[in-house]
Amino acid sequence: MESLSDTKWDVLISGTGLQNSLLALALSRSGKKILHVDENVYYGGAEAAFSLQEVDEWLEKIQGDISSKPFRNASLWKAEASDGTAGLSFSRAYTLTLSPQIIYSRSKLLSNLVSSKVYRQLEFQAVGNWWIYDGETEASLRRLPNGREDISQDKSIDNRAKRSLMKFLKFVVNYENLTETWEPHADSGLAGFLSRKFQLSPSLQSVISALTLSFEPSDQIPVKWALPRIARHLTSIGVFGPGFGAVVPKWGGAAEISQVACRAGAVGGGVYVLGTGIKTSETVTEDGEQLSKVELSNGENVKTRRIVGKNTGHDLANLKSVSKIIAVVSSPLTSLFQSSIEGSPLAAVSVLVFPSKSLPEGTAQPNPVYIMVHSSETGECPSNQCVLYATTLKSDNSKAVLEAALSALLKSTEDDEGKLLYSLYYEQEQQASYASLDLAFNDEILQAVEDQWKTIMADDNGTLEGSFMQFEDREGMNNDDDDGDEGF
Amino acid sequence: MASHGVPRVAETAQRTEAQRLEEERQIREYRDLEELISAKIAERQYTLEVLELTSKLLKKNPEYYTIWNVRRRLLIYGLFSKPSDSSSHLTASPNSSLTDTTKASSENSSSSTITTSGASTTTPQNPAFPNRGRNGTTLDLIRGDLEFLFPIMVKYPKCYWLWNYRLWLLQEANESLESDIARELWNRELILVGKMLVKDSRNFHGWGYRRKVVSELESPKLGGRSMVESEFEYTTKMIHGDKGLSNFSAWHRRSKLIPRLLDERNASDETRRQFLDDEFELIISAMYTDSYPYQQSAWFYYQFLMTTLTDYVGHGSITPNFTPEDRAEYVTRQLVILKDMLDGAEDCKWIYNALIDYTMALCRMEERKPDLDERQDCATWLAELRKLDPDRSGRWDDLEKSLRD
Repeated sequence: MESLSDTKWDVLISGTGLQNSLLALALSRSGKKILHVDENVYYGGAEAAFSLQEVDEWLEKIQGDISSKPFRNASLWKAEASDGTAGLSFSRAYTLTLSPQIIYSRSKLLSNLVSSKVYRQLEFQAVGNWWIYDGETEASLRRLPNGREDISQDKSIDNRAKRSLMKFLKFVVNYENLTETWEPHADSGLAGFLSRKFQLSPSLQSVISALTLSFEPSDQIPVKWALPRIARHLTSIGVFGPGFGAVVPKWGGAAEISQVACRAGAVGGGVYVLGTGIKTSETVTEDGEQLSKVELSNGENVKTRRIVGKNTGHDLANLKSVSKIIAVVSSPLTSLFQSSIEGSPLAAVSVLVFPSKSLPEGTAQPNPVYIMVHSSETGECPSNQCVLYATTLKSDNSKAVLEAALSALLKSTEDDEGKLLYSLYYEQEQQASYASLDLAFNDEILQAVEDQWKTIMADDNGTLEGSFMQFEDREGMNNDDDDGDEGF
Repeated sequence: MASHGVPRVAETAQRTEAQRLEEERQIREYRDLEELISAKIAERQYTLEVLELTSKLLKKNPEYYTIWNVRRRLLIYGLFSKPSDSSSHLTASPNSSLTDTTKASSENSSSSTITTSGASTTTPQNPAFPNRGRNGTTLDLIRGDLEFLFPIMVKYPKCYWLWNYRLWLLQEANESLESDIARELWNRELILVGKMLVKDSRNFHGWGYRRKVVSELESPKLGGRSMVESEFEYTTKMIHGDKGLSNFSAWHRRSKLIPRLLDERNASDETRRQFLDDEFELIISAMYTDSYPYQQSAWFYYQFLMTTLTDYVGHGSITPNFTPEDRAEYVTRQLVILKDMLDGAEDCKWIYNALIDYTMALCRMEERKPDLDERQDCATWLAELRKLDPDRSGRWDDLEKSLRD
C-alpha cells in the first residue's frame, strides 16, 4: 500500500468536526487528492457523539490536559443504582452528542444536504414544542407561541397585548424591508426596543427573546442580531409540515452529519486517518510550487498544497464560554412532546427556555438557560428515558444554575417522576466564530465552507467548475435507500 | 390548478419543434385511448381490460366526467359480484380476463362465477356466509378503485368528479356490502379526509366530504353513534392550526355543530350561558390578533354568535331560554367590547359595521327608537365606513336611509 508521503496532496484537512466534514463533502466530487486526518480515534471532533464508555474516555482526556480546548472543566455524576427504578442501561444504548444543535427548516444546510445527495443517509426528526419557564405561575411551563393561532389561544396574554405582539410579528417577518423602524436601534438591547416600539411587557419580551436562543439576557441582545433569528424561527414553522420549524438528525445530531459527510469524502477518493494529527508544518518550494511539508503525529511526513483546519491558536480576545450539562432522565417526559396541531409528526425534541431570573429564588441567574429535551426517538437513549442538553453562559455559578434548571424542569413535568440517572458537566469555549456554540445551526459555517471550497477549487484552473454541493447521484447509489423523505 | 395563496402563472413559454411534436404525440395517444374505450363500450365489453383503459385515460384527465360514468357502468353491469342467479346484464365476451387480474381475490373463487354468463357453481356458496362471494369481489373492486383515486386526488384535490365518484363508490358499498364492511370503508375515509385537510385545511371539498363521511358513520344503518363531540373538537384543532383563524370552513362547521352539541350534552341554561361566554371570548381573542387587511371568517362567526341574541326567533339555538333582558344585556356588553376593540384598530371596517348593526338591533329588541347619542355614534361610524370602504358607497347610502327612519 502506498504510504501517505508518496502522494502530493491537494488538501490536508485536520479535524473531522462539522465544518471540516462539510468541506470534505463539498470536495468529494472534485477529483482532488484529499487527506483527512483527525487526532481523535473517532469522527466528529468537537461535534462528536459518544456511548457512555466513550464519554469516560473523552472525560479522561480532558481532565488530563490543563490547556484543553475547546472543552474543559468536565465532571461526571451517576446515580446510585436503586431497586425499583430502572437505572442506566448499557454503554452502547446511549449516543450522547456534543452537538445537539437544531437545524431550522430555512437553513441552507438542509438544501445542501439534499442537493449533495447525502440526505438519504440521514434521518431527520421534528423539533416540536417550545416551552418557556415561568416561575411565577402554578403550571410553570407555558407553550411559546409560534404564530397568530398560538397567540390567540394563549390565556396568559391579554387582548391588547395580543394585538401588540401580532404587530411585532408582522413587522419582524418583514424586517428586511422595514429598516426605518429598527436600523436606528440596531445596536440597542432587544428588551428596550420591544418595549418602546411595540409596547411589549417584560413577560412578552422574554417570550420574543427566547426565540433568538441568545445566551445573553434580553436587554443585552443587539436588535440587529435578534431580528433575523426571530424571523428565521417564525418563517421556518410549517415549511416541512404542520407544527414544527426545525429538525435534528437522528443518532446524534450534527455528529451524524459529520459521519455521513466524511463517508462521502471517502467515497470520493479522500483518505481518512484517525488518531493522527498535525505535529509540525513548514513551507517548502518544490518545482516552483509552494507546498507545506507536514509532520503527522504518527511520524509520517506528507506534502500538501493546502492545509485546512490546523489549529492556529486563539488570537481572538473575548472568547465566549458556555457551561453545559448532558443528563439522562428516567422518564419519557411525554407531556413535553404532546402536540396540539392536527397532522403534526411525532416530535423527538422539545426546547425549554428559562429566561434570566426565572429560576426559583436561591439561584442567581443572570443569563437564560436552554434545555433541549431529546426523547428516545432520537436514538440517543433507551425508550422510557430522555437525554437533556442544558446550556447557559459560563459564570461563577453556572453549574449550579444548570442543575437548578434541570431540577425545575423535572418538578414541573410528570409529577416529579423523572429522576436524574446521569449528569455530565463541561465547559466549552467558542472556536473561531460564535457559530461553534450556537444552539441552532448557524449558516455562517456553510459560508465559511463555501469560501474555503471556492479557494481550493480555484487552484489549477483559476476558474470555478461545478456548483457548491450540487451533485448528481452516483451510479447505483440511489437504488439502495428508500425514497429519501426526511423520515417524518 | 388553483390553490390557496399560490399565484397562477400563465404558460406562455415558447415551444420548440421537439416539444410540439411530443405534445402532438400525446394528443394522439389520448384520442386513440378515447376511441378505443368508446368502441369497446359500444360492444358492451364490460371487462377489467376496459376498466384499465379508463384508468389510463382518467389519470390524464380526471375532469372527463363521461369516462367516470363509463367506469360506473363497467362496475355495476360488468364487474361487481351478482347474486348467484345471475340474470344479469353480463357481457357475452368469454375472455373477460378476470382470472388474469389481481383484482379478483385469490381465495374467492366466486370470481369464476362472473366469467360465465350463467349460474356458476365452481364453489357452492357457503350457506353460513351467503354474501361472502358478493362481498369478496365487489369489495376488492371498490377498494381498488378507492386506492386508484387517491393519488389522483392528491394531484387534483379540487376536482369535483373525483370526490363525487369516491362518494358513489362508498354508496355502492353501502348497498351491496355488509354494514360492518361498509363501515370499515367509511372509517378509512375519515382518515383520508383528515389527511387531505392537513394538506389544505381550507379545501371546501374536503370539508363537505367530511360532513358526508361523518353523517354516514353516525347513521343507524351502519351502527353509528353521534360524533358531534369529536367533530367539535376537530374544529377547535383546525381553528388553532396553521392559518386556522381565517379558515372559514372550520368556523362554519363549528357553528353548525353547536346546536346539536348542546342538545346532546343536555346543557342547562347555566351551561349554555357559559358556553356562549367561552365562544365569545374565543372569537374576540381571535379578532384581536387580526390586523389590516382584516379577515372576514372571524366576523361571520361573531355574527353567528350574535344571532342567538338578536335574531333568536328560529336562531336562538345556543341560549333559547334567555329572557329579553338577558339578550339586551349581552348585546349591550358586546357593544362596549366592540367600542373598546376600535381603540387601536380604527382601520377595521368590520367593527364599525358591527357597531351600527347591533346598535340598531338593540333598539329593535328594546322596541324603541335610537336615542340621540346612538344616532350620533352611528353617523360617525357610517362616515368612517364610507372612508374605509368607498367601493360600497351604495350600500352605505342604503344604511344611512334606514338609520334615518
